[in-house]
Amino acid sequence: MNVIETSSGNSHIVEINPVEDGDYKTLSKSRFFFDWKKEKAYEVYKLQLSRTSEIIGIISLEKIPEEWRVHIRLLTVSKDNRGKEKQYDGIAGNLIAYAARIAVKEYAEYACVSLRPKSQIAQHYIDKYNMKLTGMTLSIELPEILDLINQYDHEK
Amino acid sequence: MKSKTNKDFIADAEYGLDSRYNSKKERESEAASLMEARLMRMKNLSKEHIIRAKLMQLKLKMEAYIEQPMYDDQNHFADFLKIYVDTIYSTRNHFAQDINITPIRLSQVINNHRDPKDEFIMKLMIHSEKVFEKICSFKKEIWYQVYFHEKLCDTMSSQEEWRTKLEKDVKLSEAID
Repeated sequence: MNVIETSSGNSHIVEINPVEDGDYKTLSKSRFFFDWKKEKAYEVYKLQLSRTSEIIGIISLEKIPEEWRVHIRLLTVSKDNRGKEKQYDGIAGNLIAYAARIAVKEYAEYACVSLRPKSQIAQHYIDKYNMKLTGMTLSIELPEILDLINQYDHEK
Repeated sequence: MKSKTNKDFIADAEYGLDSRYNSKKERESEAASLMEARLMRMKNLSKEHIIRAKLMQLKLKMEAYIEQPMYDDQNHFADFLKIYVDTIYSTRNHFAQDINITPIRLSQVINNHRDPKDEFIMKLMIHSEKVFEKICSFKKEIWYQVYFHEKLCDTMSSQEEWRTKLEKDVKLSEAID
């Protein structure tokens, strides 16, 4: 997995790992938008630059096995990576692709990743990640979910 | 204070996405309509899409398996091989023909009655390299990694069975102080 440094165009290797108890004190609301301690009951993952271990993105997920679905509860990039001034591109994409990997690993051809953004930003997820809109919910399933995983899998 | 424009929302779309449901009722209602839409879309899935998904699932499970010690009674290599063959082929004999081994030998490996020989795993590596080429990234050596990971886990978890007997045969005639 890689992210792209916007100033140089250089690619940087990243890794996604579960957030550990010790991490929560570094995940401030001012830098990561939410109070992540409240998400401890769910699966929370951090995206880190491999070189420095700096955390630049976080996601929390809920597996819903009876619906073959992984629901993204919260997602954020770090404050330095918001909007036009972002340092790295591809953080959210890697995190969503990671959720997709979990869904395919668990549910194969039934796999689904869902989220429900505010209506103003739904189009961004539809355009960028090829998600489908059902009511208020966006989802990605087969076959697009496999394309998303491949798009962010740079081992190929 | 200046209110956010649509452009601002899009620029911030990935900073602070809150996707939690407000209530159980809201969640259940949305889940029902989502499932209905998904089931409709699933009807259009081709057999090829389903095979691709199953093979990607297999790859992800194999990757997850070798990343952690697993002390259980499962035959992981044989089970992964079974899924691989049964996902792609209508009969196991066809796979045996394709890698030029006897159906009996394949059956013995799949049913864990015989360890795979090096040549078997090498042929499997070549076969899976070709199969996964158009599906997703695939480390062909993962078959070996699964095989040896399972051997290692089995050996370490069964120390009570072999250690006492073998310790008698092990001496340190030139011990280091």
